[in-house]
Amino acid sequence: MRHAGHFVRLLALVAIAVVGFLYVRSLVVPKDFGVKGHYRLSAIEDEAKREARHIGSDACAECHDDIGAAWKAGKHHTPQCENCHGPGLMHTKVVAEEPTTGYPDPILKFNNAIKRPTGIMECKWCHLKTFERPSTLKSISSVREHVESHHGTYTTETLCIDCHNPHTTVVTLPKLAASSKAPVAK
Amino acid sequence: MTSLHSPDDVSRRAFLEAVAKTGGQSFLFGSLFVNTALLRLPQVEAGAKARAESETGKGVIYGFVVDTTKCIGCGSCVRACRAENGVPEGYNRTWVEQYTFYRDGEVFVNSPNGGEDGFAEQLPTRNRPSGDEAPMRGFFVPKLCNHCIDTPCIQVCPVGASFKTDEGVVLVDHERCVGCGYCVQACPFGSRYLNPETGTADKCTWCHHRVVKGLLPACVVSCPAEARIFGNVSDPDSKISRILATNRVQVLKSFLGTRPRTRYIGLDSEVI
Repeated sequence: MRHAGHFVRLLALVAIAVVGFLYVRSLVVPKDFGVKGHYRLSAIEDEAKREARHIGSDACAECHDDIGAAWKAGKHHTPQCENCHGPGLMHTKVVAEEPTTGYPDPILKFNNAIKRPTGIMECKWCHLKTFERPSTLKSISSVREHVESHHGTYTTETLCIDCHNPHTTVVTLPKLAASSKAPVAK
Repeated sequence: MTSLHSPDDVSRRAFLEAVAKTGGQSFLFGSLFVNTALLRLPQVEAGAKARAESETGKGVIYGFVVDTTKCIGCGSCVRACRAENGVPEGYNRTWVEQYTFYRDGEVFVNSPNGGEDGFAEQLPTRNRPSGDEAPMRGFFVPKLCNHCIDTPCIQVCPVGASFKTDEGVVLVDHERCVGCGYCVQACPFGSRYLNPETGTADKCTWCHHRVVKGLLPACVVSCPAEARIFGNVSDPDSKISRILATNRVQVLKSFLGTRPRTRYIGLDSEVI
């Protein structure tokens, strides 16, 4: 075995490479990688940790009980509060951080943390007539035509909520009160 | 044939002949099996697998049903998803497509801003070159990640950042993702995008962070038409199981054999 030294040196190099690879691998690969599959198991927890920004209409109704009860009893109870008002998490956080008592302007602070609907855009999302919508859904082609068909006066400022209460779907028609012809239809 | 077990008698010629014969036979038999496998068309395969697959009692396995016959195209799901998950402008985890069919066979597909701003009233002509023919029929189709059982997106990930949980939810590990975008290209449904804020791949998670807290996905909660149903398909008494048991459901692009977990009620053959 004249050339044994060559083999020993080669084996030593291979051993160093293998050990080095295993060491670097142990540093780079997370501990829980490959526990259940080719992925990092704690990534599921990372995803689960995110906060739920939509709190749900029941949570809204805990404080806004009057609107909540009217909404639940009315015909318009399938769209949720947060469909028009936006996610309520920040709003509840502000309430929790700053109790209503003693805060200089609680209303303003609460309102800043929730979206105030425009009162016309939100309605159009569902109630603007398109061919693909089911005919059972009450929808209108144009706000002007709709207002004028009910003997109202249409301006660019006209909003749906001028006459319709979106929480209950009760039509109040305040602008048409002067007109005797005003149909008080639901 | 010369016996191969007595090496003393084997001539070179006999050996080669024997090898050629046995090799040829096994190749023929093998190819027979392969051929029968190939004869099973992908559609048949996917359908048979879906039928054979009873997921009852396997622990929690989530499923999603989209009822296209109920969707009114309001876009509430798209807005809720954006708000819930902080999806950047111009990207969508879920979106709504508007399909309109005309009598001359032309199909009009539209999804302005993913349907986020609703769908504007359009004149029946819709700038069609052939003229003023009124639409024949139309409907809305909400789209989202199909959370496929055989996902192409997970297969192509080079760093193990895309994975499927035991509940059947396909998620992205945002710490491991290097943002190569392979999965975005691999998804045949366009469900993934590269988030410009994080630089990582992003997709619908079926609101995993809400589901673990006992809540429903944001799009399901916000849908005013109950067109989206989410739940545990492993539980035979769950709402989704009852809906799956009493409806005829279809999946998108079944011919691809990805076996989506998102099923559709009333899916038209023109929907891609």
